[in-house]
Amino acid sequence: MTYIGNNALVRLSACILFACIFYACKKDNSMEEITPRLTNVKLPVASNFPAVDDDFDNPLSAEGIELGRRLFYDTKLSGNNRVSCASCHRQNIAFTDAVALTNIGVSARKLDRHTPSLFNLAWSKTGLFWDGGSTNLESQAFGPLTNPDEMNQNLTELEAELKQIPDYVKRFKVVFGEEIKSANIVKSLAQFQRTLISDNAKYDKYIRNEDGVILNDLELAGMKLVKEKCASCHSGALFTDNQYHNNGLDASFSDDHEGIFQGRFRVTFNPNDLGKFKTPSLRNVMVTAPYMHDGRFNTIDDVLDHYNSGIQASATLDQSLKQNAGNPGIPISSTEKLAIKSFLSALTDHTFINNKKFSNPN
Amino acid sequence: MKKFLTSLTLAIGLFSSCSKEGDLIATTDSQGKTTLTFDATFNGTDFALNKDFTLGTKTFNFNKFRYWVSNVILVNAAGEDVKVAGSYYLIEETGAINLVGVNNEVSTTIYPATKREDVSLKEIPAGDYKAIKFGVGVDQKYNDNLSLQSGELSQLNGMTNVSWMWLTSYIFTSATGTVKDGATSKTLKVETGLNSNYKTVSLSFPQTIKIGSSKSSSIVLNVDLAKAFNGVDIIATPSVGAAQATAMATVANNYATNVFSVKSVN
Repeated sequence: MTYIGNNALVRLSACILFACIFYACKKDNSMEEITPRLTNVKLPVASNFPAVDDDFDNPLSAEGIELGRRLFYDTKLSGNNRVSCASCHRQNIAFTDAVALTNIGVSARKLDRHTPSLFNLAWSKTGLFWDGGSTNLESQAFGPLTNPDEMNQNLTELEAELKQIPDYVKRFKVVFGEEIKSANIVKSLAQFQRTLISDNAKYDKYIRNEDGVILNDLELAGMKLVKEKCASCHSGALFTDNQYHNNGLDASFSDDHEGIFQGRFRVTFNPNDLGKFKTPSLRNVMVTAPYMHDGRFNTIDDVLDHYNSGIQASATLDQSLKQNAGNPGIPISSTEKLAIKSFLSALTDHTFINNKKFSNPN
Repeated sequence: MKKFLTSLTLAIGLFSSCSKEGDLIATTDSQGKTTLTFDATFNGTDFALNKDFTLGTKTFNFNKFRYWVSNVILVNAAGEDVKVAGSYYLIEETGAINLVGVNNEVSTTIYPATKREDVSLKEIPAGDYKAIKFGVGVDQKYNDNLSLQSGELSQLNGMTNVSWMWLTSYIFTSATGTVKDGATSKTLKVETGLNSNYKTVSLSFPQTIKIGSSKSSSIVLNVDLAKAFNGVDIIATPSVGAAQATAMATVANNYATNVFSVKSVN
């Protein structure tokens, strides 16, 4: 063996050494040796939608999504085993509940916030909850799970309870390669929720030139009006900027009740954020009444009337709401209102609210 | 060929040597461990639960003192940072706790009485060390995502903010009990949290310590809880939480700069 050859061998052995170290470490994380291979899932992104980032901390798998779906519909996730996520997030109305402030939680006390709809959450990277106090779907789930007025679930007890069910034990093992842990419960719930994509309304088919779908004149007029008057917040293909705005619901924001009325301020403590709440999407808006963070408006007419004539001025009022010669308000005539409502109806995604993939598996 | 076989053998040896977290740390006989102790005190007196402590005109009595220590770094003699992998530790002295935000009628929600002041720092490269750095609380990556796991991080020990429902994150520090000033008595609950309040403590050792496989070593820190309340009118603001942002920032700064000091190293 020549000197050069020997040197090459040393290099080769060094490579093997590093490969072994790498392999040894990787094995601990991926558990590929002891669990069946997972079916990787990429979120389907419509051509008129923005790109979506993969989530490296919680990669999607068909098995994880299915487990999440089962947990989402399972009342065992609540302290009294009577409330599931789906109790307040009902698919047929875009995963909201048609109640201003529900009291169907474990304590039967009325909540402080209106149940938000659930869809296109994979694009919602700027915080969850109406004031954005949760950075991702995984952490967010701990809120409703443990809140005494919502699911009132003791997490230790939940782990023990789910471990009694062989099907769950098996599924958690497959997806996460370990026993049931609360961290993995919220991970699978998050996986399922990221698949809740609403991108197939009449409007989408029109925009994508699909199936010869066209919008009628009234809908087209409404689309133009929404772009002119509403798109500063309800922007882009998602019909939300996923940001926080004061839309003039109230003139002052008391710090009563742990700052519940202060909106984004109680998360950032920035005085510029007083009274700001997250922009909900206009998609499916015609099936998600009542409206606003406290569900104060029963109908879409009430909402349009608010923007037309009900805006309350305050220091943090969004400037884009001053469309009335610099004064608060967005002038909307009664004919314009009809056109806007007609367009909003074209944003209802019947495919989404009827998709069996998102329904109760049982 | 001999070199090749030696390397291969070494590689096989390393195969099983990775830490459970999957960190690329190879174990050789050039590593050691050290014990890091957080010795709790109050204004010069040894800390204990249910004991009166005087500070000026005020009398404090505690039933709980807990905080997260994270991202421990030892600084070697050359001034290089040596990170301790997976270093998230819950330091605490507490009676049994009814965990907040969960169903208190169920016995499993009782966190048992615990006193924990010692942390074993393992797999430290052998050498001389001159300083220590650590975070008080949980850094943003883990604070923002309760489903990520490292070290002792857990959603099950009452140090997550289910009590501040709108912020799903960790409680960084918590000291609760009572405080009296003359005839006035208040329930004390001083907690910190929020990413902006995650602080790093840096402490230099009076002399360098040697860490190695053949020698046991220890770092003892003095933790003066009284200093956490510096600059806070604790009778006027006996409850510090997410809704008391200014007071919370003051307390967090106290933890960063006043509470911890080096007692001894050897």
